Amino acid sequence: MSVKEIAKNDFTRFVGTLIRTEKVFGVQAKGDRFDFAPLESAQDLRLDYDVTLQPPKKYFLPPAEVLLTYQVGGPYQSQLDGQEFILLGVHPYDMVAINQMDELFQQDNYDTHYMTRRHNATIIACDVAKPSDHVFASSMGTAVVKKGYDILLTDIGDSFVAEAATPKGEQLLAKAKGAAADAQALKKREDIWARNKKSLNKHELKCDPAYLPKVLAKAYKHPVWEEKAKTCFSCGSCNQVCPTCYCFNVQDDVNWDLKTGQRLREWDGCLLDGFTKVAPAHEFRKARADRFRHRLYRKATYVPQKLGGQIACVGCGRCVGACLPDIANPVNIYNRLIDDLGIG
Amino acid sequence: MAKPKIAIFDFACCEGCQLQIVNLEEEILSLLGVADVVEWREAMSEKSDEYDIAIIEGSITRMEDEERLKRIRGCAKVLIALGACAMTGGVNKLKNNFEDFEEVKKCVYGKAAGKPHLRTAVTKAVGEVVQVDYAVPGCPIDGKEFTYIVRSLLMGKKPEIPDYPVCVECKANGNPCLWQYDQVCLGPIIRAGCGARCPSNGFRCFGCRGYVDNPNVDAAKDVINRFGLNLDDLKTKMVLFGSKQEPTIYE
Repeated sequence: MSVKEIAKNDFTRFVGTLIRTEKVFGVQAKGDRFDFAPLESAQDLRLDYDVTLQPPKKYFLPPAEVLLTYQVGGPYQSQLDGQEFILLGVHPYDMVAINQMDELFQQDNYDTHYMTRRHNATIIACDVAKPSDHVFASSMGTAVVKKGYDILLTDIGDSFVAEAATPKGEQLLAKAKGAAADAQALKKREDIWARNKKSLNKHELKCDPAYLPKVLAKAYKHPVWEEKAKTCFSCGSCNQVCPTCYCFNVQDDVNWDLKTGQRLREWDGCLLDGFTKVAPAHEFRKARADRFRHRLYRKATYVPQKLGGQIACVGCGRCVGACLPDIANPVNIYNRLIDDLGIG
Repeated sequence: MAKPKIAIFDFACCEGCQLQIVNLEEEILSLLGVADVVEWREAMSEKSDEYDIAIIEGSITRMEDEERLKRIRGCAKVLIALGACAMTGGVNKLKNNFEDFEEVKKCVYGKAAGKPHLRTAVTKAVGEVVQVDYAVPGCPIDGKEFTYIVRSLLMGKKPEIPDYPVCVECKANGNPCLWQYDQVCLGPIIRAGCGARCPSNGFRCFGCRGYVDNPNVDAAKDVINRFGLNLDDLKTKMVLFGSKQEPTIYE
């Protein structure tokens, strides 16, 4: 696969070409913040962003979607999103999260809706140029990424190094003007990777994340859950902005003929009151502290059990910035447990 | 099977929630396809005492209104409180913050304060007078949510109204938190379901849908401190739609 060096002007032209022929979602300014949105002009693309308000998971698992339409007591019809698209500017930690979701949505009950969108996507990832206020990807081993994307971009100053990783990416990259990256350009990229592995670390986890399941194995009755949950709104902001939270709720909405309708899927969140409500109105995780604890266990015990040990927190830091009472930071909680309980 | 009969009644309110139903325009025809509307002062002149579903808009502010509401409840199999005034008392409960209603009336109506049609009592939500089976939150109600609730009831299903805060929908819309832009937003303690309409347009949540079932007042106090504000900054925001309702924040 090719590794090209593309001058910034040529890269802007390349993005302009993509916009004319494909549906492109790219990172853009949103007020004084950044977010993924439909890209209408190459000038709007901001690969110098720190972090997006929402993770890119919304392009695979939208906040709300129609799964199927039905007739009461009759047949149903799956609703699948068929449009191909390019996702431009995915940071490594978000790419790791997508890689994890890809595994999870293929396990057990293969999720056609998620996977259809995933197959429709071409992902152009990009290395972090500017660390966000709360990123701790270096601690989580997600500051650089080696798989999942079709193309990886690295800003090395006046140009980008662009590496194709799939035939889809190769085909796309062929449209960009640029020569094969030389040793000097590749060295610059290596330096950026080495830098990011250390510097994307505004909160520092006191152990290798691989030890977290062992720490949590002793922490179920630790006082930290009650302490933190005292000021938890149960607003689920930490869930909503998390690139690895994928819980959803499914509800039916019938049409006015009372014979046909839609089955809807919406994001849910384990912090929310009612998240564990089951028939007949029983709620098995009613206490705020239990729900607060569940999120931290999910990231570092339950999901890793499904993913061969991968920790389901990628260190994007979005939950830290989104939590008004400032209790969501996983590093603070895990470090407290490490201090109190050790990693052995 | 005969179509269920629906009657819509208004009490103390601006009638804006009924207007939201009128604003459904062609969708009203769909409603009329599956239910008979037998009384609805804002939209038709017929009246009836025979109905299955009574939809009540407005709060209860006079003794005679309590009697009227009880009569309606006696006729209806299902009673729905429509909008903030009916569901929680809404802005009409601002009055309950004062003790001397004669003074309040003089302030509002001036010389006319003594006229008999301006008699007033402590404002009550519909549920403080009669049993409410379902409620449609909001000031005004969301038309889509209203039709969802009606369709659910016609199907014999319990409608699912969110019991989580506005933050959920606000974050799903990709908004930055307005607290970080110096707005005292009530989103973290107010029931979602509006699609976070106000914060998504840059205005703090005013709390029109009422509190979630289990709002965390300790968290609110903590956040007030963290942002260098005082409790009055929060209370003055809560008073509009939250007067004389739980949770009440005491110093």
